[in-house]
Amino acid sequence: MERRNFLKAALLGSIAGAVHLKPENVFARESKEAPGQNDLVAVMGGEPEVMYKKGIAALGGMKAFVKKGQKVVVKPNIGWDKKPEFAANTNPQLVAAIVKDCLAAGASQVVVFDHTCDEWQACYKNSGIEDAAKAAGAKIAFAHDEKYYKEVDLPMGLRLKKAKIHESIIEADVWINVPVLKNHGGAKMTMSMKNYMGIVWDRGFWHANDLQQCIADCATYSKKPVLNIVDAYRIMTQNGPKGKTTNDVVLAKAMFMSKDIVAADTAALKFFNQFREMKMEDVSHIGKAAKFNIGTTDLDSLKVERIKI
Amino acid sequence: MYKFLKKGRVAVSIIITVAVTLAFLFFSNRETDLFNGFLKIQFVPALLGIFTGSALILGLLTILTLLFGRVYCSTICPLGTLQDATSRTASLFKSKKSRRFKYSSPKNLMRYLILGAAGIPLIFGSSAVIAFLDPYSNYGKISSEITGRAEQFVHNLLSSAFPDTIFFRSYSVFIAGSFIFALAFLILVLAMSAVRGRLYCNTICPVGTLLGLVSKFAAFKPEINRESCNKCTLCVTNCKAECIDLSKGTIDESRCVGCLNCMTVCKKGAVTYKYSWKKSSKASEQPVVNPQPSPASSGRRDALITMGLVGTFLAVKAVGKVAPLAAKPKKTGIAPPGAVSIDNLKSNCTACQACVTACPNGIIKPATGEYGADGLLMPVLSFDRHFCGYDCNVCTQVCPNGALIPLDIEEKRLTQIGKVRFNLKKCIVFTDKTDCGACDEHCPTKAITMIPWGDEGLFIPKVNRNICIGCGGCEYVCPAAEKAMIVEPNEVHAVAEKPKEEKQEKIKVDEFGF
Repeated sequence: MERRNFLKAALLGSIAGAVHLKPENVFARESKEAPGQNDLVAVMGGEPEVMYKKGIAALGGMKAFVKKGQKVVVKPNIGWDKKPEFAANTNPQLVAAIVKDCLAAGASQVVVFDHTCDEWQACYKNSGIEDAAKAAGAKIAFAHDEKYYKEVDLPMGLRLKKAKIHESIIEADVWINVPVLKNHGGAKMTMSMKNYMGIVWDRGFWHANDLQQCIADCATYSKKPVLNIVDAYRIMTQNGPKGKTTNDVVLAKAMFMSKDIVAADTAALKFFNQFREMKMEDVSHIGKAAKFNIGTTDLDSLKVERIKI
Repeated sequence: MYKFLKKGRVAVSIIITVAVTLAFLFFSNRETDLFNGFLKIQFVPALLGIFTGSALILGLLTILTLLFGRVYCSTICPLGTLQDATSRTASLFKSKKSRRFKYSSPKNLMRYLILGAAGIPLIFGSSAVIAFLDPYSNYGKISSEITGRAEQFVHNLLSSAFPDTIFFRSYSVFIAGSFIFALAFLILVLAMSAVRGRLYCNTICPVGTLLGLVSKFAAFKPEINRESCNKCTLCVTNCKAECIDLSKGTIDESRCVGCLNCMTVCKKGAVTYKYSWKKSSKASEQPVVNPQPSPASSGRRDALITMGLVGTFLAVKAVGKVAPLAAKPKKTGIAPPGAVSIDNLKSNCTACQACVTACPNGIIKPATGEYGADGLLMPVLSFDRHFCGYDCNVCTQVCPNGALIPLDIEEKRLTQIGKVRFNLKKCIVFTDKTDCGACDEHCPTKAITMIPWGDEGLFIPKVNRNICIGCGGCEYVCPAAEKAMIVEPNEVHAVAEKPKEEKQEKIKVDEFGF
C-alpha cells in the first residue's frame, strides 16, 4: 500500500517536474529568439528612472534577464569620492531603479559593489549609491581588500590571461553592468568594458601592460553581464574620469542598453562624439573587443530601438 | 566626603581613559568630532597648542593644579589611570605584606634631569625628546600600536565570522621601530606600576615632575593632623605615590597625585586637604612646622627655575621661529597637511599617532629616518598603499597639539605638501608605446593632463607643478616598475594655485548620433 503510494507520488512528481520545467525552458528560448526583440535600446530626454523603465520595457522587461531566485550583481561605477552632480559615478537613482526591478523580477538577492579608486567608504557614501541601493533593497558588498577577490582564467586574453575578480561576481547567477559615460585621460573613454576595472583587484597590471588590450581581454571573461546599461544622464566630457568641477559635466539625459557590450559602448561613444570629438580608433579597446567576437560595432546590423521622451 | 570625591575621581579617570582609547580606535571613518576633545585636555598637547586654540585648556589645567595639586595625574592622564588599574590588578596576586606601599625618598636628581632633557629642547624648538616621554603621547603610541592592532585583529576575526556586515580592515603599515617602542614602553610602565604604584610618574614622567613643582604652590594640600593621627600607617600602605613620610608626618605634595586613597582609608580622619595659601604666610610665625626648611625652599627654587623655563618656552614660542637643534637631513619626508612646515612639525609634534590611526587612507606612518633623528616617530606620508584624499582633512582635525593645524576642506585642497616630478623615460606611454593615463585619472586638480604624443594616437602626461598639491595619487597609481611620478616634499608647505575653471560651450544635442 505504502509502496504503491510512493511510486504513484514519484511518478506524478516526475511528470509534474518535467511539465513544470519544460514550458519555462521553451518560453525562455522563445523569448530570446522572438522576432522583433531589440538588440540595443537608446533612450533620451527623461529622468534616470523614467528612461530606465522605457528602455527595459523595450528589451522585454527585467524578467528576460533575471530569473526567479537568482543571485544578481548590479555593478555601477563608484570609483570616486564625488557627489552625483559631478557625474564621476553612476547615477544613484538609476542604480536604485535597477535594483528594485531585479528584486521585482524575483531575484533572491541583489549585490552592489565597486573596487573604488578613492577611499572606499567615502566613495560609497558620497556617490549616494550606498544609500540609494540599500533603500532599494540591495546588499552592499565590500571590495577594498584583495581578500574579496578570486583568481579566474581568461583563456582568450592576449595580455591579461588571469585576473582576480570580485567574489560576488563569481558567486552570482547573473550580473548587470551599469557604467557612467565619461571621457578618460588614459582609456580615452570609459563605458561598459572599462567598467570591468572595478571588478578586478590589480588594475595597475592593466595600465602597465597595454591598457586598451587588457580592457578588451577582460571583457572576454566567461561570465558576461546579461545586460549593459550605460548611464548618460549626466556625462563628463572633460577632465575625466575624476573631474574637477561641475563645469566638466553636461546634462545629456540619455541611456544605452544592450546585452552586446561592444554595441552598447559603440552607441555610447557615437552619442558622446556629438559633444566632443571622439574617434572609434582612439578608443581602441572597442575594436579589439570586436575582434574577439564578443559583440559588434556595426550598429546597422542590429535591431535598434530609439526612444525619445 | 573624601569617599565620594574618590569615587568621582575614579569615574572621571575611567571615562577619560576609555574616551581617549576609543578615540584611537574610532578615528577612522572621518568621525572625529566626538573624541578629539578628550585629546586636547591633555597637558602636553595643551602646552604645545597654546597658540593654536588650547590656551584656555592650559589655563584651566594650571588653575586645577594650583588649586589641588597633581590631580591631572590621577584623573585626566590616561597613562596614570592605566597604571592605577595595573597596580590594583597586581595587588590581587600579591601577598598581604607585599601589597603594602612604603614611603620612599624622592629621586629628585633623576626627575629634574629628565624634566630638563625634555624641556630644554622644547625651548629651542624641538619636541623630539618630549615625544618619547609625554605620558599622553606614549599612551597614544600604545593605543595605536598595541590596542589598535589587537582591536584590528579581533575586528577581522569578526569580519570572517560575519563577512557581509563587518568589513575586513586592511592591516595598517607596520613600522617595527614604532611598535617596539610602544611595546617596550608599555612593559616598562606596567612593570613599574605593578611593583611600585606610581613610581613611573614620580621618577620618569616629566609632566609629573613639572606639575609636582607647580603643586608646591597649590592652595589645597593634603596634610596629616598630627594630633589625631595614631600612626596606624594605613595611609602609607595605601599611598601608591609612596610620598607619605609618617616619621615626619609629612606628605610630599610634589609627588602626591591626589588619588585620595589616604583620606578615604584613614579611620581617624587625620588626612585632609588643607588650605595653604593663608597659612604659608603664617608659617614663619608658627614655631614647630618644619625643623629642616631646606628641602622645601630648594624645592621652591627648583620650581621657580622650572617656571622660568616654561615661561621662556612660551615666550620663544610666541615670538616665533627658532631653528630646530639638529642638522637637517639631505632628504626629507612629506609632512601631513596642516603641518605648515617640517620645522613646525618637529617643534610641536609629540608623535601621539592620533593622525596615524585616524587617516582613512592609512598613508600616514611614524617616521623612521625621514625627518632625521629629531623627528623620529613623527607622522610622515607614504604613497605605497594609497594617497591623500582630496576631500579629506581628518589628520588636521584630530591633532591635539597644533602640530597639524586644523584646515577646512577648501584650505586643504590648496595646501601644497609637495610637488610631483615627472620622469618621462620611466613612463609606460614612453617605454611601451601604449595608453596608460593612470596618473591623470587620479589627479584631483588636473595638475596632470594627457596631451597628444607621437602619431599613434597616444597621449602622455603633462605636469603643471603650480597647481599640484602633492597628494600622491599619481605616485601611488603609477604602474611603471620604477615610478615615473614622484612627489617631492615641500619643507615649507605652500598654497597651490587654484585650478582654472574650464567652462564648456553648451552644445545642444537632440539626436543619438547613430
